[in-house]
Amino acid sequence: MPLAIYIGRRLVFLVVALFGVSLITFVVTRVLPGNPAYLIVGVQADESTVEAVIERLGLDEPIINQYGHYMRQLFSGDLGDSWRTKNPVTTDIADRWPATIELATAAAILSICWSVPFGIVSALRRRSLSDRLANVASGLGVSIPEFWLGIILILVFFFHLDFAPAPIGRSLGTVPPEVTGLYTLDSVIAGDWGALRSSLAQLALPAITLAITTGGPLLRVTRGFMRETMASHHIRSARALGVPERSIVLRHALPNVLLPVSTMVALMYGYLLGGTVLVEFVFAWPGIGKYAIDSIAASDYAPVLAAVLLSACSYILVYLVMDILHFIIDPRTRT
Amino acid sequence: MSAADGNGMTVPHAVDPAAPDGGEIPVLDVSDLTVGFGSADKRRSIPLQGIRLQVAAGERMALVGESGSGKSLTAAAVLGLLPEGAEVIRGSIRLDGEELIDAPERRLRELRGGRMAIMFQNPRASLNPVLTVGGQIAEVIRVHGDAGRRESWTQAVDLLAEMGIPDAGRRAKDYVHQYSGGMAQRAALAMALSCRPDLLIADEPTTGLDATLQQQVLELVVEQVASRDASLLLITHDIAVARAHCERTTVMYAGRVMEVGPTDAVVESPKNPYTSALLKAFVTVDQRRMYAISGVVPTLVGELGECAFADRCPLAGPECREDVPALRPVDDRLVACVKA
Repeated sequence: MPLAIYIGRRLVFLVVALFGVSLITFVVTRVLPGNPAYLIVGVQADESTVEAVIERLGLDEPIINQYGHYMRQLFSGDLGDSWRTKNPVTTDIADRWPATIELATAAAILSICWSVPFGIVSALRRRSLSDRLANVASGLGVSIPEFWLGIILILVFFFHLDFAPAPIGRSLGTVPPEVTGLYTLDSVIAGDWGALRSSLAQLALPAITLAITTGGPLLRVTRGFMRETMASHHIRSARALGVPERSIVLRHALPNVLLPVSTMVALMYGYLLGGTVLVEFVFAWPGIGKYAIDSIAASDYAPVLAAVLLSACSYILVYLVMDILHFIIDPRTRT
Repeated sequence: MSAADGNGMTVPHAVDPAAPDGGEIPVLDVSDLTVGFGSADKRRSIPLQGIRLQVAAGERMALVGESGSGKSLTAAAVLGLLPEGAEVIRGSIRLDGEELIDAPERRLRELRGGRMAIMFQNPRASLNPVLTVGGQIAEVIRVHGDAGRRESWTQAVDLLAEMGIPDAGRRAKDYVHQYSGGMAQRAALAMALSCRPDLLIADEPTTGLDATLQQQVLELVVEQVASRDASLLLITHDIAVARAHCERTTVMYAGRVMEVGPTDAVVESPKNPYTSALLKAFVTVDQRRMYAISGVVPTLVGELGECAFADRCPLAGPECREDVPALRPVDDRLVACVKA
């Protein structure tokens, strides 16, 4: 069973990769200046109180011992406590990750919807109007900073047009009863259409911001693969035997393009799931990215480490899922 | 024979003295085909300059020439699939008497795969990697007829079996990466012949296959074409291949036709100095030094007003540079050389 061996090997790789990521992040957070003991006791506290806290947290121990201690905790499912929020990090993440998942998923769907079809169509005719438009769109998508775009969208659609709600998080109205943690999905499950509308309205601007910036590269890649495929020998052969253009594009070319494009989509989604720091910050979106940046500012080690591990983990897992899908879909990986 | 025989004027409708069934309409009749790349100015590159090519019904014609002489471009023009930027400047391409230049794309699509078909070199790249081999053949059958899915699939499997693919029912469900090069070429042949075309163009069909396979595949092509009463246009740079499989040969050089005639006669007593030079380059393999034609192929910018081979020809004289030598009947063939 080659698939089982393949998945097994990839899971081993996952563990090794996470080990490496944790080590690097742990060392980097510890050697950075800033002492969390002051955060806990306050800057007014006397020397002995600070010393006591440092000893309690084990910060006076050699870094290798601290890491060993952290890893032992990690294997029992404990990511440590946040000094800033006073909660276990697992609780904080469980609260915030759904927000990131919701935003990432909405952004990924929007991004795919505009960039992939656009990439396909623009590749069909060189120097056509759609080709030129695609050039502009992908150029803008690649070069516009997402935080700037977010601010501009807020300025236009909230401030001037009053079309979008205030950029202050996930929901202005009532929050639907929690099932999945995704407000949109939970609203549908609860049948609460008012909450659905409200959560969609909150989601719209940050999701559009990310869809534009992630769609640029995706458009470029899709167009590149489509051009390459349309110039390939098998497309020439199919044309030379009278296969109509519609079938050339949809049946002969598209599957060859979607395989590599889906890999790009996986990369993009993995990246989004790790929390988009800047966009979450601009829209006050209470997700992992904002959690990480707030924690960094407060020298709060445990959440920073957890956020990085989570980001790496989701990246690798999404990639693994896509690889397995390819294994099933692509005939060339079978035999 | 037609009136053109008598008056000696041979361009653009030179009548080949040895063409079989001289009175009938040829399956493929290309005359004065001139193809250019880029915008119409003096720097325009013109890789095909007045090509004349006839393939009679049931005939096997070889199109021989060096790389870059315009063989494949001629095939692309016949199929109406010139690369982007290329266009037919003048000339005529007739398939069973029907003019293809300026024919609507719809009609060309019916003819492609229906009445004329092509198989390319590198068969594994010419089949789609993510569609089953049988599915691709079945689609061509459906496009050109009114067979349904099941019927076209059965026909595809039958064709694969006919081309000598063992266990065709199972192999039809395979993908091209599961096929060897020889099998892939058999599948490509099955696909090309699936709608019983009148003309099969085989563009270097065995390049990349090993020698024994080359022989097998070419024999299969010839046999299958013959059993369908179709004509074959075999594009090759290998005169030995042409001689083994084709009755007649058209020799191309630098986008022009140099000589047309029965293959044996062309090989044994070439009348165009270029053909002689090309043959010498082939027959001296076992000698100590390979024969190489001195000089370089002319760049095809603009239309040359002289013989394209004049710069490299041992017999060239001032008369060779006065005008483009017309293809004219000499004994049993057509030769484009004023010295012949």
